[in-house]
Amino acid sequence: MRLHEYEAEEIFSKYGINIPLGGLAKTPQEAKQIAESIDVPVVLKSQVLVGGRGKVGGVKIVDNLDEVDIVADKMLKTELKGYKPEGLLVLKKVDIKKEIYLGITIDRTSGIPIIMISSEGGINIEEVSRKNPEKIFKLPVNPLQNLHPYQVISTVKKIGLTGELLAETVNIIVKLYKIFREYDGLITEINPLVITGDEKIFCVDAVLEIDDSALFRHPELNKKKLDAMSGRDKRLMKKGATFVKLNGNIGLICSGAGLAMATMDMINDYPSLSTANFLETGGGITSDLMVDCMELVLEQPKLDAIFINLYGGINPIHEGAKGIAKVIRERKLDIPIVAKALGNRQEETWETLEEVGVHIIKESETQKAVEFLAKLLGVKAK
Amino acid sequence: MSILIDKNTKVLVQGVTGNIGTTQTRYMLKEGTNIVAGVTPGKGGLKVEDVPVFDTVEEAVNNFPIDVSLLFVPARVAKDSVLEAIDAGIKTMVLITEHTPVHDVMEMKAYALQKKTLLIGPTTPGIITPGECKIGILPANMFSPGPVGIISRSGTLAYEVAANLCAIGIGQSTVVGMGADRVAGTNLVDILRLFNQDNETKVVVVVGEIGGTQEEDAAEYIKEKMNKPVIAYIAGASVPPGKRMGHAGAIIEGGKGSAKSKIQALLAAGAKVANRLYEIPSLAKELIS
Repeated sequence: MRLHEYEAEEIFSKYGINIPLGGLAKTPQEAKQIAESIDVPVVLKSQVLVGGRGKVGGVKIVDNLDEVDIVADKMLKTELKGYKPEGLLVLKKVDIKKEIYLGITIDRTSGIPIIMISSEGGINIEEVSRKNPEKIFKLPVNPLQNLHPYQVISTVKKIGLTGELLAETVNIIVKLYKIFREYDGLITEINPLVITGDEKIFCVDAVLEIDDSALFRHPELNKKKLDAMSGRDKRLMKKGATFVKLNGNIGLICSGAGLAMATMDMINDYPSLSTANFLETGGGITSDLMVDCMELVLEQPKLDAIFINLYGGINPIHEGAKGIAKVIRERKLDIPIVAKALGNRQEETWETLEEVGVHIIKESETQKAVEFLAKLLGVKAK
Repeated sequence: MSILIDKNTKVLVQGVTGNIGTTQTRYMLKEGTNIVAGVTPGKGGLKVEDVPVFDTVEEAVNNFPIDVSLLFVPARVAKDSVLEAIDAGIKTMVLITEHTPVHDVMEMKAYALQKKTLLIGPTTPGIITPGECKIGILPANMFSPGPVGIISRSGTLAYEVAANLCAIGIGQSTVVGMGADRVAGTNLVDILRLFNQDNETKVVVVVGEIGGTQEEDAAEYIKEKMNKPVIAYIAGASVPPGKRMGHAGAIIEGGKGSAKSKIQALLAAGAKVANRLYEIPSLAKELIS
C-alpha cells in the first residue's frame, strides 16, 4: 500500500521528524487559509501516487498570497499521469543549502534492510546512482536487532556532515528505520532531507510504502485501503488474487504469477494478440472466486477471447471450474474460451468446462494451448 | 541420489489439522511420503490420516526423528512456527504459506542462517523427488524420476516444465520451488550448489522471473563453479514495468532485475537460455545425450 505524501508526513512527524509548517488542502480556499497562517512563500504539492511529480508540474512555488487560490484551483483540477489529486499539500518553503537523500528498502537477495544515504539528494538521485554509484553509501542492518545510533555515525560522516548536523541526521535515520520496521515498510524515503542556511533540518518529501501482507497489523491503514475498494476487489484481495489492467484483447486467468507471466509472453508473441489483463488467482481458488475473476475479465473492453491456465496443486481446480461454468451459463457467453487445466482432479475439471463449450487443451504445454487460441481466432505468428 | 529429500526423509507437518494441511497430508501419504507427525497448538492427541498430532514441535521431536518440517500455517503465525521449528532443532523447513509479511520473512531468514538451517519458501509449492518423496503441494502426476534437476521461483511453472519434460520421456532428480515472495528463505544459488554435487542430476533447469537479482547471482555461480549444463528461462519479458514510487528500489537493484539483464548474465555465464517455455524439453534432450 502506497501512502500519500501527507499521510507519510503525518507518521514521520509523529516519530519526531521535522516537517515544514503547513497542511493538506482539499479546496483552493483551504489552500489559501493554510498559506495565510504560515505566510508565503509556500510550496503546493499535488497529492497523487505517482513518481516524478516535480517533473510534470505537480509541485509549484507561490510567492504571492493572492495567487495561492488561483494556482491551487488549477492544480486540483490537473490530473498527473492519469491520476486526479486527492488534495494539495501546502507547505512553508524552506531555504535550501544542502539536499540529502535518505532511503531504506529491502535487499531481496540477502533479505535484509539496507539504509542508503547520499549527499546528492533531490529529483536526480536515480541518475546519480547510475553514473556515480560511489556517491551513495549503503548500510545493511541485521533484522534480528534494533538499529542503534552508533552503528550509523560512520556512514553519515561519509557524506561530509559534522557536529550538530551529524548528530541530528543520525537521529533522523534511527527514527526512519523505526518507522520502516514498525509500519512494515517496503520503502521509506526522505528525498530530499533539507539542511537550511541556518542549519535546521527538514524532511521535504516523504515516501512510505507498506507491505500489503502486513496490513493486518495496521488496522487503520487496512480500513482506509478497504474503504477505497469495491466489494469484488475486496473479495479478490482477501483470497490473495492479483489483477492488473493491460488493455489488450485476450482476457487472462492463471493460477500463479510465474505461469501468468510466461503465458503473457507467449500470447504477446502474436502481433495481433495481447493480454487485456494480468490475473493471478493465488492459492485460494473457490467456485465464487472464479465467478469474480470471470466477471472482472469480462469487464475489459475489446475482448476477443479468454484464456485460462490453471494447475491443481493446492488449488481445487474442479471447484474453480464450477464458477467459470456458472458465469458462462448465466450470461449465455459466446466469446471463445480456451482453457488448460492440469493437476489434482483434472478430469472432473475438464468435464465441467466442456459441458459449457470451453475449448479444453489436455496437453501440458501452454504453447500448444496458445497456438490453438491463435488458430481459433485466425491469427498468425510473426 | 537426489537433493534435500528421498524415500528415507521423515516429515513433520505444522498446521496439519487445517483444511489444506489435512488434504495435502492425504495426497503426500498417497505418494509414499514418510509423514511421522503433525503439530497444531491445542490439537495435541488428535490423529490426521493416522498421523499423531502434537501441541508443539518440541513434543513431536521428542517422540520421532524428524528431518524436514512442512508448514501449512496461517501467514500471521508463520514466523512463530518457523522459529519454533528452528529452536526444536529441525534442519530443513518448507513454508508453503502465502502472504507472509516480508519483515517476518527477513527475521526468519536471518535466524535460519544463524542456526545453520535451511528455510525453503515462503510461497513455495515445496520439493519433490519423484517416485520417492513429495513434501508440499506439487501435483505428483506432473513428475517422474530422471536426470534433470529443476529450481523454480514460480510454483506453477515448475509443474509445467516438469510435465513438458515428462511428455518427451525425461524425468527429474529433484524439483525445488524457491518461493515467489520478495525475499526467499533460500536463494537459487544455494540450491544450484546442491544440484552441482548430486551425481544423479545431469542437467539443471533454472526457472526464473523478473524482479530481484537472484538470477544474476546464479549466473555468477554458474560461470565460476558449475560443472554441469544449466538451462535457464526467465518469465515476464513482456510484462510492463509497474508504477514506481520512491527511488530506493531502482537504486538497490542497480539496473539489474529485468528479463534482459538476467538473460544477458546467464548467457555470458554459459547457460543455455530458453526464450520460451516450450524450448526447454528439446534443450534438455540435447544436453543429456
